[in-house]
Parts: sequence; structure tokens; C-alpha cells
Amino acid sequence: MTETTERFFATLPARAPAVLRSPVRGTLQLRLTTGDHCEHWRVELAPGSARVTRETGPADAYWYGSIDLFDRLVTGRAHGVASMLRNESTLTGDVVLFLAFRRFFPTRPGTRDPRTVAREQTGRPA
Amino acid sequence: MKEQVSILDGNTFLVSDRRGDIERSQDFPTGLFSFDTRFLSTWVLTVDGQRLHPLSVDDAFSNRTRFFLVPGPPTHYLDAKASVIRSRSIGGSFTEELTVLNHSGREVEFVVRVDMGADFADVFEIKQSQRKQGRAITAPGENELRFTYRREGFHRETVVRTDAEATIDPTGMTFHVRLDPHGEWINQLDVDTVIYGARGEDIRANLPLGASRSIAEINAEHDEVVERAPKLGCDCQPLAGAYLRSLNDLAALRYESIALGVRLMAAGLPWFMTLFGRDSIFTSLQVLPFLPDLVPPTITMLAGLQGFRVDDFRDEEPGKILHELRYGETAGFEEQPHSPYYGSVDSTPLFVILLDEYERWTGDVALVRQLEAPARGALDWIDTYGDLLGTGYVWYQTRNPETGLGNQCWKDSWDAISYSDGRLPGFPRATCETQGYAYDAKMRGARLARTVWNDPAYAERLEREAAELKERFNRDFWLPDREFYALALDPDGRPVDALSSNIGHLLWSGIVDENKAGPVAAHLLGPRLFSGWGVRTLADDQGRYNPIGYHVGTVWPFDNSFIAWGLWRYGFREEAGRICEGILSASRHFGGRLPEAFAGYERGLTDYAVEYPTACSPQAWSAGTPLLLLRVMLGLEPQGEHLIIDPAVPEGMGQVELLDIPGRWGLVDALGRSRTAGDPVRRR
Repeated sequence: MTETTERFFATLPARAPAVLRSPVRGTLQLRLTTGDHCEHWRVELAPGSARVTRETGPADAYWYGSIDLFDRLVTGRAHGVASMLRNESTLTGDVVLFLAFRRFFPTRPGTRDPRTVAREQTGRPA
Repeated sequence: MKEQVSILDGNTFLVSDRRGDIERSQDFPTGLFSFDTRFLSTWVLTVDGQRLHPLSVDDAFSNRTRFFLVPGPPTHYLDAKASVIRSRSIGGSFTEELTVLNHSGREVEFVVRVDMGADFADVFEIKQSQRKQGRAITAPGENELRFTYRREGFHRETVVRTDAEATIDPTGMTFHVRLDPHGEWINQLDVDTVIYGARGEDIRANLPLGASRSIAEINAEHDEVVERAPKLGCDCQPLAGAYLRSLNDLAALRYESIALGVRLMAAGLPWFMTLFGRDSIFTSLQVLPFLPDLVPPTITMLAGLQGFRVDDFRDEEPGKILHELRYGETAGFEEQPHSPYYGSVDSTPLFVILLDEYERWTGDVALVRQLEAPARGALDWIDTYGDLLGTGYVWYQTRNPETGLGNQCWKDSWDAISYSDGRLPGFPRATCETQGYAYDAKMRGARLARTVWNDPAYAERLEREAAELKERFNRDFWLPDREFYALALDPDGRPVDALSSNIGHLLWSGIVDENKAGPVAAHLLGPRLFSGWGVRTLADDQGRYNPIGYHVGTVWPFDNSFIAWGLWRYGFREEAGRICEGILSASRHFGGRLPEAFAGYERGLTDYAVEYPTACSPQAWSAGTPLLLLRVMLGLEPQGEHLIIDPAVPEGMGQVELLDIPGRWGLVDALGRSRTAGDPVRRR
């Protein structure tokens, strides 16, 4: 387990009211692998709430990928859907749950607000 | 005669030449494609070493074709001793049945060969000849030839299987055929395309709807879509033909997303066999009165993939609705941004417009409640990230200059937005129709807020903002000396003064001041814009006008359908009717299947509608066009629980009858007939 991943999951309950505004509901089971080691995270998503445990069990959607990839996802350095398209991660089950969950992933470090950039470029007040 | 023959099922499609052959080509994507990967790039049939010549091609169906062929060059075929029938279909996999007929009275031996190859090109790589990054392996086996491509975890496979005994080598299969007098030989080749997921399974095997449907199942599904649609009875043959063709094409363009597991509508063959925000919304708006069931999966998926953060590579921002979603290698390895890409300035307001229009027809408030957060997110985007310069308009400028789109409006080719004299403005740009959509989105958002979300304060705010936008727009975009709206504002806020079809969309969205609608309609039907078939994308006296320029002079059927809707909205029924008549007449020149675009030549000059050279066909929003034109001619407008029917059928079209129009009223019939000189009752 990495510190980054653990920190990410710890923030979910507090961030959920702002992030999960759609009436999405269900359980996402994540299996993160590194070499022969494997760790499990389970997130129960509901409008405005996310409950995180380390349990395993039947879920509405399952996400598989490496711990390294997940670290990059939760620090904004990788992209959830692109990683599925190149088969670096896999999802089975209800895709809408993953689409809701990925809203917790942050912006890539160093990204600027496009409005600030455009207004600077055209000499307008930011 | 058409150069290419295409069959499709969802986003799996095959394009070949008139003989049924596929040879590598870089300018037009021939081959067997599925989910943005080419699984067959070579497929060439020879008999005794000779290529074949087509006698005729039966391509009446969207997912199967029969080619009737004879060996050798055309001069020999009249006394051909043999002929060949290639009968092929697509349904999950691709199947081709080869029949060789001996027409002579003696035993004959033939060497039949099919050259085969798979380059696994991504649809974005077709025009380039760069080497693939991954590794390809070809493995001849017993009764099969297997092509494999791997790049890290990305794994695709093409497997060709034969029923008959064959000599199999890495470049194809050879069959030694001995035929009795007047005998025949039949062999079936099956081509499976495999997209491997994590544990070595075909991803599509796990799709809820099932990827490999039989031909019979596909046909049954198509028939069901057509069966569900209202029945059209009319005197006008082009209209009847176009309507049926459209329903069939719309049915065929639905595909099951491998990443999403729902059935979505592909935009157009061959370049756009995937989900587009703008195209799917415009198509949904067109088909709503006819096939409302097609709409919820699209709108739900667009909401699910709504932007949630700033991503410069993908031009993504919170609240933005996607432009394009692709499934291929270049999207996966982030060489292209389509995972999804958000470079569209209009799909976000259009999303709100569709949600409102959908509810007005169907009364499905549950979906509007479910999508309240995404709809509010979209409305917020208009005034936040959409208003890039803080001037009260929606602007666009890509942050991905390498693989992003320069123009992010529907006219997205590089030269589409120009001043009247042909100069190109800088970025960011604010195109006029986008402001119209933003206005309409606010008005419709207000209606939803009041009637479904129970938030009258929000409704009032949106209406106030809409009124302010309308006032501002009519001041800043209107060119009083020329009496039309500028195509766009440039980064300094100055009008980009070309005369374009975009002003027709302004009528549709209702942002046009009443006293300006007359001059706008006059321009749309005037000689500079109206070709006789339809409204040109750019007026014929503008600097960049070109009758066969993609967005600078061609006529786009979809564009015209929304212009007709706009003219109707402002009461210009006769003008709307002229567009309906022109576009439907043009459809005759394409066998009822309106292409993406056709040339802007004057109707009197050619008396024949000329297809744009590389137009996509079938294309969803062109297929949707006859449906929307029908709505315009019959004047179908939901009002509360009722459907208003106020027909204005163009002269000469006779009677138009549409039965069982579905909606919140149940099923309703509409009848209209054109005024004619001999008609005493409805004479003008």
C-alpha cells in the first residue's frame, strides 16, 4: 500500500458531498496489484456520500489495475478511461459507478485555469 | 457508380471496392473496422490468378452485400465459363460465402485464392504510414489464419476460419477446386475480431447486450426499430424513400460501447463510427418525435462522461459535455486525446436543450430529475469556463495545439471561420450559433428548474441572464449595414463578418430579435446562400467560398433541417418549405440516403446534387434530417399534454400522413396536404 493511495481513500467521505451530486448508488470493489501482492478497497457510493472499507465481497462494479497506476490516477498523472482503453486497467460491471468514482481524481499537477491563460494572452483583466 | 461498398453493424463496418476486395489505402479507410481498429487491411479474391470483375452488386441492406463477379477483365465476360458470388454480412463477426459456378459442360479445375492481411491500424493512423509501435504476428493454423497485435496490455486479434480445405500461408488461403459440368463450389470464411481484456477474454463477451448477435437477431432488431416508428403515408416518393432509408440507417448506426456497455449511436461511416457529443445530440433532437427510445442512453452517457476537472490535453473543464469518444490504440496510449476529448464549444448548451426537448415530448420527468446535477453543471459551464474572456459570450480556444481541434463549433475544419474577405481571425473565437444555443439552454433550463426541479429562483435567474444575453448579442453581432449577424467575434471583440448558414441556427434558438428575423430569412433563401437544394455553409460571394469546400460552401442536410426548424419557429413556413423541398429532392440523387454534405453548386447549373468527395454516408444527423423536415412540414409541437399539429406542406408535395406519433399524449396521427392551384378549400 502506498501513502498516496491511503491518503486518497481517507479524503473520500469528506469530499463526497461536493463530488457525488448525481443519484448514483452502488459498490465499487478495487483490486490493486503489485507483483504477487494484492490489496482490496471497497467504496460504497451514494448521493453525497462515500464509505470506504478494506473488505471484499460482491459488488456492482470491479476495477483491476496496478498500485502504481492507481497512484498515478489519484495524483492526476494518469487518466482513468485511457488506461482502460490500453488495457492497463479493467472494469467489469456498472460503468456509471466508475465514471462517478473517477470524479475524485484530481487535476494534473501544474494545470492552470484556462480563463486566466486566455485573458492574459488577450490582455484582458483576469 | 459508387467506388466503395460498405456494410455496417453499429461501429463494426467493412468498406471494400466494387469487387468486394480490400487493398491497403491511405486516403480512404477500406477494410474491416471495429472499435476504431482495422482488423482486415487486405482481402483480395483471385481465380486462377486473375482478379474479378463486378457484374452487379446487391447492396440494398446495411449489413449484407452480394457481389456477382466474373474472372478476368471486362471484355471477356460475355462468354464467361465461370462466375463467382461473394455473399457477405456483418454481425459481431464478418462472414463471407464464396460460390464458384462452372457454366461449362465439362469438368474444370480452379485455383481460388484470398489474399489476407491485418495491419491493426488505428482509425487515426490510416492517413499516415508510420510503423506500429507494437508487435504483429501471423500464424497459419489448421483451417485458420490468425493475426495478432500486441502493445503492452493492448491486444487485438483477427482470426480467419475456412470451412473448405485450404493451403494456408501467412498472406492468405488457397483453394484447389474441381467442379463437375455446371457444378458449384461453396465455401464460407468467418472472420472474428477479438479485443482482449485483462484476463485474456474478449471484452465484448462481457457486454450486457452481447456483442456477437446473429444476422437474424440484427435484422429483427432493425425491423423492431423501424416498426416502432410512426408510419408515413405520402404522395411524394423522395420523402417516402428517404424516410425508410433513414430509419434503417439509424437502426444500423447504433452500437454497443465497449467501455460503457450501452447502445449508443455512431455518428457516421467511415470516419466517425463512434460517440460524438454534438452529433448525437443533434440526431437525438431530430429523431425525438419518431424514436424517443433512442435518446435516454445517449443523454445518460453524455452526463456520465461530463467533464469534471481541467485537462489541457483533452480540452476538458468541469461541466463540459464531450466532443468525441474513441476506443482505439491512439486514444489508449494518449497519442490522441479522445478518451474522451472535450473540444466542442456547443455540446454543453445543446445537452440542456436536448434534455428539455426530450421531456416536452415524452413527459419523462424521472430522467430530468436524475440528470439535474449534470444539467446544472452544464449551465454553470456556460458562464464560467465557457466564458473564457469574461465578456458574457461563450468562446473556444484549444489548449492542445498538436492534436486538439482549432475550431470547436460544428464547422470544425481549419478554414471554416473567416471574415468576409477570407482572412482568418485569431483565437479565442465566439461563433454566433453558440451564443444562440447558450440563450436557448438558459430558457429551457429555466423551464426545467420551474417545472421539475422546483427551483423558481434559479429559473428567474436563468431567464434574466438569457434576456441580457439576447440584448447583448443583438447589439454586438448584428451588422446593421448588411442586415445579418456576424459569423463570430474575434479575440478583440470585433465581428467576423462572413455571411454563413450559422445565422439559420440563430432562428432555431430564438435569440433573434423579431425585427431582425425577416432580413435573416431573406438572406437564408437569397441567391448567395440558397443553392436551390439547400442553404450553403458559406455564401457564394465570400472570400473562402468553394462549392466543394467541407464547411465553406457545401450544403449540409443536417444544417438545413435546423434552419428549416428555425424558419418555422419565426413563422416563415413557406421559406421552411422551400428548404424541405430542396433537400428532399436532393435525396433522390443519393438513393434516399442523404450524405454528410453535397456540393454547393446552383441547382439550375447541374440539376443534379453532387456528393462531397469524401462525405460520410450513412451519417446519423443526415439520416435524421428527413425526420426533422417532416416535423417542420407537419408543424408538430408539444404543448403541455398535447401535440399541436399545424401543417404547411410545400406546394407539389401532395398529402403527407404520419400515423402513431408517440409522446406524452399516447399516439397521435397528423395529416397535411400541400396547397395547389386546383384546391378550392385551402387556396391562398
